[in-house]
Amino acid sequence: MTVARMMHVLPVEAYTSQEWFDREQAQIFSKLWRFAGFSEDISEPGQYLSVQAGLNNIFIVMGRDRRLRAFHNICRHRGTQLLRAVGKTQKAITCPYHDWTYDLEGRLVSVPEEAEEFTGLNKNCLGLKPASVDLWRGMLFVHPEPDPGSIMEWFGKVEPHLGPHKVEELVEYPQAATSHDIKANWKIVVENYIDVYHLSHLHSGTLAMYDHARAKYGFVGPHYAFWEPLAEFYARDVEKNAPMPLVLPKDQLGASVPMLFPGLGLGESETSWSTFHVIPLAPDLTRVETRTRVKNASDWEFSTQEWRSGAFWGKHISGKYAVEELGEAEDPMTSGDFMAEDVYACEQQQKSLKSPYFEVGASAEQGESPVRQHQQIVLDFLEGRR
Amino acid sequence: MTQAAPQATRSFHKLRVGETRLEIGGSAKTIVFDLPGALCETFRWRPGQHLTLRFNLSGEELRRSYSISSSPFSDDRRLSMRITVKRVEGGRISNHINDNLKAGDKVEVMPPFGGFCLDPGAMRRRTHYFFGAGSGITPLFAMIQSVLSDEPHSVVHLVDGNRNAATILFKDELDRLCDAYPGRLSVSHLLSSPSLWSGFRPWRKGKIDAAAIEAVFAEYPPYAQDVQYYICGPGDMNRFVRTALTSLDVPVSRIHMESYGGAVAQDDTIKGMAATARVTLGDSTQSIEVAEGQTLLEAARAAGLTPPFSCQSGVCGACRARLVKGSAEMRARMALEDTEISKGVVLTCQSLATSSELEVVYE
Ligand code: FES
Ligand code: FES
Ligand SMILES: [Fe+2]
Repeated sequence: MTVARMMHVLPVEAYTSQEWFDREQAQIFSKLWRFAGFSEDISEPGQYLSVQAGLNNIFIVMGRDRRLRAFHNICRHRGTQLLRAVGKTQKAITCPYHDWTYDLEGRLVSVPEEAEEFTGLNKNCLGLKPASVDLWRGMLFVHPEPDPGSIMEWFGKVEPHLGPHKVEELVEYPQAATSHDIKANWKIVVENYIDVYHLSHLHSGTLAMYDHARAKYGFVGPHYAFWEPLAEFYARDVEKNAPMPLVLPKDQLGASVPMLFPGLGLGESETSWSTFHVIPLAPDLTRVETRTRVKNASDWEFSTQEWRSGAFWGKHISGKYAVEELGEAEDPMTSGDFMAEDVYACEQQQKSLKSPYFEVGASAEQGESPVRQHQQIVLDFLEGRR
Repeated sequence: MTQAAPQATRSFHKLRVGETRLEIGGSAKTIVFDLPGALCETFRWRPGQHLTLRFNLSGEELRRSYSISSSPFSDDRRLSMRITVKRVEGGRISNHINDNLKAGDKVEVMPPFGGFCLDPGAMRRRTHYFFGAGSGITPLFAMIQSVLSDEPHSVVHLVDGNRNAATILFKDELDRLCDAYPGRLSVSHLLSSPSLWSGFRPWRKGKIDAAAIEAVFAEYPPYAQDVQYYICGPGDMNRFVRTALTSLDVPVSRIHMESYGGAVAQDDTIKGMAATARVTLGDSTQSIEVAEGQTLLEAARAAGLTPPFSCQSGVCGACRARLVKGSAEMRARMALEDTEISKGVVLTCQSLATSSELEVVYE
C-alpha cells in the first residue's frame, strides 16, 4: 500500500485526476452561486446571455419589467441547448431543432403539429426548468435551483470585508479584459491568488507599491478576504503617482483582493476594480477571465494621470529578473506584469505534480495558511460537511 | 411570538388616543394610539395590516377599517401605532374622526389583521415596487418604513399618485426617509391635475398607467432580482395597475394588492338557498337558519350571535371562517388568497349557502 502523497490537506491527485475534477464539478461548481458577468451585460428587455456553471448551462433573460429570469438552457423536448452565448430575443425562445417555443416565463407555448403528433400533451408540465439569478456588487450571479435563498445568505458575511468601492458607479474598461488558459489545476490558480507569502518574492518588482507586511487576511465562511495598504513611498504622493484616476477617497486607499468561493477573485484597488474568474476546464487546465472597471472619467483625465505618473512607474515597476540577466526579452520573469508572473508560477508548479519525486516541503505558518484553509474548504464540500 | 387567543384578537378594546395631527391642510388626520403594555402582544401588527374602529353615532353602530400607517419595528411600539384617515365626502366616520377625535378620547379598536402584508427579513434582498394613490399610501408607508429599517439589503421604489401636490399624504415624511436612506428609496410622484401655482414639480403628470410604470422600470430597474409589487389605491386603480404590470410580463405571483375604499367587483348573480348552518364561535356551537339570499354573517347576527366583522364588503377579512361541511359561494373574495379558498376559508359577509346543510367554524 502506498501512502497518498499530499499537498498539505488535499492529496496530490486532487490536482491531477479526472475523478476529483468530476466530483468538484458536481459537488461545488454545479451547486453554488456562480459569477455570470457584469450587470450591464444585460441592459434591455429581451437581451439574454448563457453561462456554463459547472455542469449546468443556464441562461438569463430580461423581461419587459426589466427583471431577470434564469432557466436551464435545455429544451424540454429532447434537450437541445436553446440559446447560444449572448443575444436578443423578442417575446419567445424557439428551439432550433423542432421549433418548440417558450415564453419569457419559461412556459411552453407552442409545439408544431401538436394535434397530430402529441395527443393529450400537457404543455403545463413542460416549461423550462427555472434557475435563479441575482445582481450583487455590479455582478450577475446564477444558481441552478429555483429557490436557493437570498444571495446575501451566501455573500452577506464577507461583504463588510470587501473594498469600500461603489462598484455600480465605475465603468468597464473593455480593453483591459483578458482571458488566459493556464496549464494548471484550478486550485493551484486559487492557491496562488491567496498565497500571501509569494507577494514580496515572485512579485518583488511588480507589486511593491503595496505594503505586504501590513496585510490583513482570513476566511469568512468559505470566502477569503484580504486587504493591504499602499506602500509609504507610493501613498506619499498618490494623487500624482496613481497610474489612473483614484476610485477611493484618500483615507480609504489600499487594495482588497478577496477570493469568493468557488473561484471568483476580486481585485479592488485604489484605481480599479476587477474580477478574476477561475473556470476549471480539465484537471490540468484552467481558464481565467478578467474584467476591469475604472472611474467614470474622461479620456483626458486618464491620459493626464498616466502622463503625470509615468516617470514614477518607470522607476518602480520591473521584471523579477532583468532582461540582461535572463537574456530573453519575451519572458514572464522579465515582463514586469504580475499576472504573467503568476501564470508562470502556476504552470511550473503543475508540471512537477506527476513526478514520482514530487513532495511538498514546509508550509509558511501565516503567509500560506490561506492555501491550507482553502484545501480544507474544498474537502469539506466534497465530503458533505458544508 | 405567542398568538393571542382568537377572542382577544377579534374583539374590540378601548384604546386611548395619544395624539392627533392634521395632515394635508386638514383634509386628513393622523391618530396615534396609546397602547397599554398589556395589549402590546394582542395589537402586534404586520406592516400592511389594518385596524377596525367601532363608533356609535346617534344610536347606530358603525365600523370602518383603516390601515396602520407606521412600522411595527420602531423603538417603542406602545407609542407608534397610528392610522391616517382622509375625509371622504359624506363619510360619517371619516368626518367624525376628522371633526371630533382628539387626544385623550377612547376609541373601540379591533386588533390588527389582514393578509396584505410585507414581512421584512434581515437577510432578504429584494426590490420592492409600491404603487399607491390617495390614502392607499397608508399601508404602503408602513411597509416602506419597515423595509428600510429591517430589511437592510433591499431597495424600495414608490410610485405615488395624487390629484395635486397639496393632497400628497406623508410627503415630508417620505422626503425625510429619502435623505435617511440614500440609494435605497426612490419616490416618484404622479399628479393627475397639478396646480399651476405650486412650486412642486412632480415626476410625471397623469395617472399610474402602463406608460408610467414602464418609465419607472426604465428609470429604476430592479437591482435585487427578487422583485415584489404592491398596489393599494381606490376604486379601479388596483385592477388597472395589475393589468399594466402583467402586460409588462410581471408574474401575478409577485403582485400583492389591497383594494382601498370605493367599489369592489361583486358578483350579484349568486342567489344562494335556504339552509341550516351549525356555527362554531369560540367555545359554543349553535344551529341557525339561513334564508335564501342572506349571507352567513347576516344570518348569524340575526340569530343573536356576535361573530367578528368589519367592512362587510369582502375587503378586510375580519369575518373569515372555515366551511367544514356543505358549500357556499362568495359574491366577493378580495380579502382571501386562492390558497386559503382552497382550504375552505370563506368570508361570511359574502357567502350565500348553496347546499342545505352547512358547518362553519370561526377560528
Ligand atoms: S429538442 Fe427542442 S424542439 Fe426538439
Ligand atoms: S367583514 Fe370584511 S370581509 Fe367580511
Ligand atoms: Fe500573485
